[in-house]
Amino acid sequence: MSLHDVAVLGVGMVRFGAYKGGKTLTELARSAGFGALEDAGVNLGDVGEAYVGYMQAPIMSAVKIMKEFGLTGLPVTHVENASATGSVTFRDAAWSVASGRSRIAMALGFEAMTLMAARTQSAGRGIGRDTIDSVILPAAFFALWAMRRMHERGTKPKHFAQIAAKNWNYGAKNPFAHRQSDHVVTPEEVLAAQMVSDPLTTMMACPIDDGAACAILGTVEEAKRLHPDRPVIRVRAAALQSERYTPGHTFLGPVVGPASMTHTTAQEAYEAAGLGPEDMDLAFCHDAFANEELEYYELLGFCAEGEGEKLIEEGQTGPGGRIPFNTDGGLIARGHPGGPTGLAQIHELVLQLRGRAGARQVEGARAGLAHLVGGGSVCAINILQRDS
Amino acid sequence: MSEAKTRVPIEAGFFTVPEDREEPPRLLATRCNACSEVFFPRRLVCAKCLSQDVSETEVGPRGTLYTWTFVHFPMFGSSNPNMTRYGVGQVDLPEGPRVQGVLSGKRDEFRIGMEMELELETLRENQAGDEIVIFRFRPTEARAS
Ligand SMILES: [Zn+2]
Repeated sequence: MSLHDVAVLGVGMVRFGAYKGGKTLTELARSAGFGALEDAGVNLGDVGEAYVGYMQAPIMSAVKIMKEFGLTGLPVTHVENASATGSVTFRDAAWSVASGRSRIAMALGFEAMTLMAARTQSAGRGIGRDTIDSVILPAAFFALWAMRRMHERGTKPKHFAQIAAKNWNYGAKNPFAHRQSDHVVTPEEVLAAQMVSDPLTTMMACPIDDGAACAILGTVEEAKRLHPDRPVIRVRAAALQSERYTPGHTFLGPVVGPASMTHTTAQEAYEAAGLGPEDMDLAFCHDAFANEELEYYELLGFCAEGEGEKLIEEGQTGPGGRIPFNTDGGLIARGHPGGPTGLAQIHELVLQLRGRAGARQVEGARAGLAHLVGGGSVCAINILQRDS
Repeated sequence: MSEAKTRVPIEAGFFTVPEDREEPPRLLATRCNACSEVFFPRRLVCAKCLSQDVSETEVGPRGTLYTWTFVHFPMFGSSNPNMTRYGVGQVDLPEGPRVQGVLSGKRDEFRIGMEMELELETLRENQAGDEIVIFRFRPTEARAS
């Protein structure tokens, strides 16, 4: 057994959105979890191990919520890695199967950020008043990166606006997306939205979300047994790295983290997969803010350094382009609850590789990459490939 | 008079609070005795070479603006109405560290590469009437005005 003998058996998710208590954490997790189990054609009795991801929920939420699916004695582990949480549950579940510890494993992520905001305010610490590094709006960190790029490369706000507009328009075609615009969003509309932190406007930023998503992984043997009619979708890489010290490293405050982290994690993932960026048909990245996506075009190896602007100008990362990015709307439009975000990327990637992504379908998609960074301190990249 | 008030840092161990209000604060940093790398804030192990042979040092108050932005929403943690919109930047200190912090000044006065200087900003008063202060950077040339 190796990682390449692990397949995705099923996926499920709840549309991301600001439910504000309208759906409880349990309801969100249950919908996504049963959706994935049903898609895989299994029940909890078949699952050998579960990795459950969330950023902020009461203690023991993972095992408590798993009881909704049954009480079978399976090992349950809580995973938390900020924005990359869901990506890491997927990685851990994949390695559980690859190591032979389980034949079928579950990766589940959930979050209710609209409830979390209320909790942290009352807690008085965290995004509160009493720490040296909590006084700056998160958008500012990514804006600092954008301003430096504009200084070094002559990048214009319109480039960020083009990326945001592309993701908004992808979101409108995705029934699981939080933001579903009733009209075609233009870069001009994105630029005219309220400024959050120069040069980023509200339409270049992800919303606050609740949601859940789930993936069931298993051996290729199980995949063929359960769904002989479906193409086998294999895990080719499941990479995770934390920061390396680099000159100019900024330690204080939640920060973007060294950009090189995405580059080195991608190198590890491509090597493990035996594939390169030229083999990818679509990609997902941490577009919490639009300027990030531009940087990741280069750091993930889809163009040379300094050529990201050309890629978006030519429409290469949109519908019909060479490497469509964030076809489900990305963090900007599909939404970004935290815990489940990485699994929502997997959900969309699997639909695409099955040829079931509707109006967003990338023609003939065979392989794709899903990237997230977390808390400026970790980077996770999963690569999936469909058997031809 | 307010001049008599005690100034206390928002969190201890990050910057000095000089008795003389005209004197700029300095940042509390760590220097690695094995490879000379300097870190802010303080740490027990060198992040570059992993040596535990490190010494405490102070850095600043001047540096070069590496990047900046201007935030158009109220600052968390502040009850100071002057800070509803504020600059944020990263400043490269000559000793080595790149420090991220709040900037003092108007949106149109920041330029990448300009010289910045540390100062203390009062965020609010605590129940004892002490001033809670945090460090921030301002353009050095703005000092005269
Ligand atoms: Zn050292």
